[in-house]
Amino acid sequence: MSARRLRMHPRGPKRLPHRGLIMAVLELSRVSKSYITHLSLRKYWILRDLSLAVEPGEIFGFIGTNGAGKTTTIKLALGLIFPDSGSIRLFGEAADRVEVRRRIGFLPENPYFYDYLTGTEFLDFHARLFGIGAADRRRRVGELLERVGLGNRGDRQLRHYSKGMLQRVGLAQALVNDPELVILDEPMSGLDPIGRREVRDIILDLKARGRTVFFSTHILSDTEMICDRVGMLVRGSLKAVGTIDDLLTREVRFWEVSIRGLRDDRLPCGQIVSRREDLVLARVESQQELKRLLAFLDGRGAALVSVTPGRQSLEDLLIQEVRSAADAGDALPAARDSGEERHAG
Amino acid sequence: MLARVSAIALNTFREAIRNRILYLLLIFAVAMISCAQILSLLTVGSEEKIIKDFGLASIELFGVLTSVFIGIGLVSREIERRTVYTLLAKPIHRFEFVLGKFGGLVITLFVNTAVMMAWFFVVLQVKGIFDPRLVTAVALLYFQFLLITAIAIFFSCLSSPILSGVMTLAFYVIGHLLWSLDLLRDRIASPAGKALCGVLYYLLPNLGNFDVKGEAVHGLPIPPAAVGFAALYLLLYGSAVLAGACAIFQRKELQ
Amino acid sequence: MSRVLPAIGPRRGLALGALAGLLLAAVAQWRIEARPVAHADIHPLLYLPSGKYLKIATLGFDGLAADVLYLWSIQYYGNYQIADRYRYLEKIYGEVISELDPRYLDPYLIGSLIMTSEARDPEMALRLLDKGIARNPGVWILAFEAGFICYDTLRDYVRAARYFDTALQAPDVQPQVHRLYASMYEKAGDKRTSLKEWSEIYDTAGDDYVRTVAWNHVHDLRVEVDLADLKESVRAFTASVGRPPRRLREMEQHGLAGALPRDPEDREYAYDPATGAVSYRGGLILAR
Repeated sequence: MSARRLRMHPRGPKRLPHRGLIMAVLELSRVSKSYITHLSLRKYWILRDLSLAVEPGEIFGFIGTNGAGKTTTIKLALGLIFPDSGSIRLFGEAADRVEVRRRIGFLPENPYFYDYLTGTEFLDFHARLFGIGAADRRRRVGELLERVGLGNRGDRQLRHYSKGMLQRVGLAQALVNDPELVILDEPMSGLDPIGRREVRDIILDLKARGRTVFFSTHILSDTEMICDRVGMLVRGSLKAVGTIDDLLTREVRFWEVSIRGLRDDRLPCGQIVSRREDLVLARVESQQELKRLLAFLDGRGAALVSVTPGRQSLEDLLIQEVRSAADAGDALPAARDSGEERHAG
Repeated sequence: MLARVSAIALNTFREAIRNRILYLLLIFAVAMISCAQILSLLTVGSEEKIIKDFGLASIELFGVLTSVFIGIGLVSREIERRTVYTLLAKPIHRFEFVLGKFGGLVITLFVNTAVMMAWFFVVLQVKGIFDPRLVTAVALLYFQFLLITAIAIFFSCLSSPILSGVMTLAFYVIGHLLWSLDLLRDRIASPAGKALCGVLYYLLPNLGNFDVKGEAVHGLPIPPAAVGFAALYLLLYGSAVLAGACAIFQRKELQ
Repeated sequence: MSRVLPAIGPRRGLALGALAGLLLAAVAQWRIEARPVAHADIHPLLYLPSGKYLKIATLGFDGLAADVLYLWSIQYYGNYQIADRYRYLEKIYGEVISELDPRYLDPYLIGSLIMTSEARDPEMALRLLDKGIARNPGVWILAFEAGFICYDTLRDYVRAARYFDTALQAPDVQPQVHRLYASMYEKAGDKRTSLKEWSEIYDTAGDDYVRTVAWNHVHDLRVEVDLADLKESVRAFTASVGRPPRRLREMEQHGLAGALPRDPEDREYAYDPATGAVSYRGGLILAR
């Protein structure tokens, strides 16, 4: 990483909200991408003027609704498709330069692999493409299979793998060259909670080793758990980017109180959200109301089971952004979404 | 570069070998060659000619079908099933991918043709016939398969499997009818028409260059110059087609 | 019916129905084909265009197409039920098959055989064979076949001899052809050429059998030729001198060309001055 590359970016140094001048691992500058359907000959914009930078060593979560353009962004980063305008750089170099891909690993969404290969053969094949020698390959393939939890299943053909196993071997394939940047498109999709936990652990482990992870997902709870920074894509524009703390207000918006043994339903304040047998869940909007409720319950002899603060979640933010984008009437025809889902996603 | 191309070539070969279509075609070829034996019993006269004609025709037919069916899937099926994404995210040039695919099919077709030829010679040997000239004829058929594969890959980079299959088969038919284009050129009066026929005649693949079946069957000598020219033509035309395929694939959007 | 269906069950019923349908179709096919073929029924293959144009459809598989058509033609022309089947005989062999694969020999041979013995049109056969000979100059058997037809069917020995001569140009011609060729001239009345040819056969004979056969012919022909020569000399002498010679030697003294020929046993030929007839003292070997 020469100092020359840090300074001589043609558009000037990248201004990041809270860091200084650091070369971005992945950087999109004013990228636009459209596509034309054969039949209608109309242009649909998938991405418009998108600018984004991923810093080294961070876990960046790329979230958005289905059809927002997340996969398109990733494909642009990998040189699988080409932008209408704007530039994409990996480690400071143009994204369609082949050599730069030595330093990245990629797992696509719903990957298909060669059914007829065994897990070991598959990983060995990908390792070959990096020019890794035979002995090294054997060792590394073994290690990778262990790491993703497929240790004793390398000899089965991929066609016999379950979805979860396919996802894991796909992850292994993305790590075969020990990349500095790992790009994952919906890595948790189709996994059960155990599988998701394992993937989360692998991502955290990568960060611990100093790697950068960029992944897209529409499961927002995962994002909140592990991401350093988050980018939110709504209809092809980046509506928000930053740390979770930056994006979400951390103040408590409401309290959820779980009560047992309430004899009647009348509460001095707040609403009853749900009731099951003798367990009642109530919601109050402020600390004052909470205090009043607790005092009320104290007197009635009902048992307090739990008190949980509710903060704004990413989900809330996303819904809010989607709504405001719809209200602003982003000048895109409504039919766009279904077309996108088919082609971009 | 060679390492990557050969890795993909070997992988493609493995894919083809485990493809059921290949075995189906091979079984049909073997069956047809065996039928040649039976058919020859119907003739009054030379049984040898019937067996040889039928055998060579079977090899050509199934070799071409293999080239087309597997060739069209090489690129477009990978794109359709998105296996190509993980591959192209590696430090590999797009043209290396195309060449690797072609290389894999070169190997597959070699094995295929060798098996068919071996069986053909077994059937001939049963009748006590042995003619080494047939090896030359089969070798030239192999060159033809390679050219058709290159064309199949070219179309495979352009469009869907079905469409590229149709186009490749169309080129096979045209390639064997170019002689009539030559005749047309003589018959047409207008110079523009003549020029057009001439241009088409030289641009389209002339598959007649690979056809020495008649000479082999009738025991006529096959001049080494013909073999050499066929190899040269394959090299030049095939390279051109593959270069075109690489060029198309280079800027292809992989949706 | 409504009581049968529930018993069988829908799936089995469908299977039975399919089988029954197939069976009926097969029976129908059989009955249709069992009808005698009238002469109005023309097999579609007879409508084939000339081989030159058919090549477009065969896509480089010309040899195979020729094979298939030939196989079909043998079956077709061997089917005695088809009346009027020779109408397109010349077209099939002469225009279609031979254009598709001019070097395929069987159709010329079998075609000419059918034309001669079944269709009884030897000139058609000769036309076909002429085509074959033109396209396969190094093949002796085509010219031989043609010559044989001229000899055996047409009894046109001159023509036969011409064909046999063509056959003899071929590199691997069978030796019998030479003998037939020689005989043709004899049959045509040209004994001198016949003698020349038989002498050549005798000189180049490879085994005793051939040598014996050749000698027999040479012997008899020599006698005949010599007798003819002598007769001619006697006639010339008589015309110029006014009377037949008293002895054969007299002709020699009068300067008639050449020495007196001696017979194969190295005797003089017999001469009867009264009649002017020359004869041979021995007997001809081959019965004439």
